[in-house]
Amino acid sequence: MNPNPDLHHLGAAYALDALDDVERAAYESHYPTCEICSQEVLDFRSTTAALSEVSTTAPSAELKASVMQLISATRQLPPVTGRFAPEPKRRGTALWAAAAALLLFVASAAFLVGRAAETDDAFASQLEHVLAQPDVRMLDLPATSAATAGHLRVIWSASSNQIAILGDELPPADVGTAYELWLIDETGPVPTRMLDSAENGVVRRILPLAGTPDTWGVTIEPQQGSTSPTGEILFLGDA
Amino acid sequence: MTEEVGGLRRLHAVPNPTTNDDVDQLAAALVSCGRGDQQAFSTIYDRLAPLVHGIVLRIVRDPAQAEEVTQEVFVELWRIAPRYDAGKGSAKVWAATIAHRRAVDRVRSEQSARDRVDRAGAHRPIAPDPVAETVESSFEQLRVRKALNQLTSAQREAVELAYFGGHTYREVATLLDVAEGTIKSRIRDGMIRLRDELGASEAS
Repeated sequence: MNPNPDLHHLGAAYALDALDDVERAAYESHYPTCEICSQEVLDFRSTTAALSEVSTTAPSAELKASVMQLISATRQLPPVTGRFAPEPKRRGTALWAAAAALLLFVASAAFLVGRAAETDDAFASQLEHVLAQPDVRMLDLPATSAATAGHLRVIWSASSNQIAILGDELPPADVGTAYELWLIDETGPVPTRMLDSAENGVVRRILPLAGTPDTWGVTIEPQQGSTSPTGEILFLGDA
Repeated sequence: MTEEVGGLRRLHAVPNPTTNDDVDQLAAALVSCGRGDQQAFSTIYDRLAPLVHGIVLRIVRDPAQAEEVTQEVFVELWRIAPRYDAGKGSAKVWAATIAHRRAVDRVRSEQSARDRVDRAGAHRPIAPDPVAETVESSFEQLRVRKALNQLTSAQREAVELAYFGGHTYREVATLLDVAEGTIKSRIRDGMIRLRDELGASEAS
């Protein structure tokens, strides 16, 4: 569960947003499971918030009207209900549960870690394994249209020949269909056989990496899979 | 939070009663926001806009773009307000965390890290854009400035380049031409010093 002892010392850099994407993801998968690191993150965040006191600057007066108008047209996220309420930290277990508690708090970029209901220690340890690879790559797949809901992040490593894919807030696929991840190389799209229905909007999968991606794409396909994409491309990002 | 965690924590800050009331009011307003109360959001905006915009402007630099990011931060705060948990930090800490990350993600997505280091490197020696010695307008600002002065100049430089410059520790190491491990230690030691000087009372 703890591939890198250095992780324990990254709390200060994390709170300063001074980690790169890969280290940030590794730390975010670690600290919620570690009582000392969780406390450090809370403390160091207070410290960084205090630092920001020295450079306060009022935005233009017009900005408020614009913000107020935007929020009146913005739907709020549902609260986290009891069903998903994370359990108190149990070191080394309930990784996703504890992570959810802390990370909803920085929800914008933190969909790497899922909700309590999707607790899956096996996935977590495989994800950590992928993240620990020296050649690990990570990509948040952009949606191809503003109408596409949800987030998808692909993390892959050629040296471990693995893909980790994390999806959140996705509309569950219709009965008989499933989300498919396509590895697109010079020969065209190759199915990864992900074929996940995104029940509860969530995807957590580790897949074999067969090939060198130029691009990643996601479509919805018939449940049994397709050899080439038949559905509309929902997410697409250059590797 | 005054409890000891593995003997690592010390609480230095003397709680300021005015600030604590304020913290409670803001937390209450944020909880109301979570129930869709736009009036409460208006209060939050008025109280936190200078803080949020200050962070964003410091990192993004371009005033027009900074206003765009500040706007995004507030819309995000509104959107996720139902999930605010006062146990995980005050409203101010919450807003500052989101603002800083959003600003940093914006600048990093626009330019590769390499480009930014090269560009910044071209202007060496690096002045870490030291926190300007302007009017001390609040007790809090005085306290922070005093705490920053407790750091060694090397620690302060590393922390300021990371926080106010929006750089990763690796970029800081390249900018200062110092080993990454050294910068990691400076950042960590500097932050521990600041934490101990400033206390962590804001989060509780």
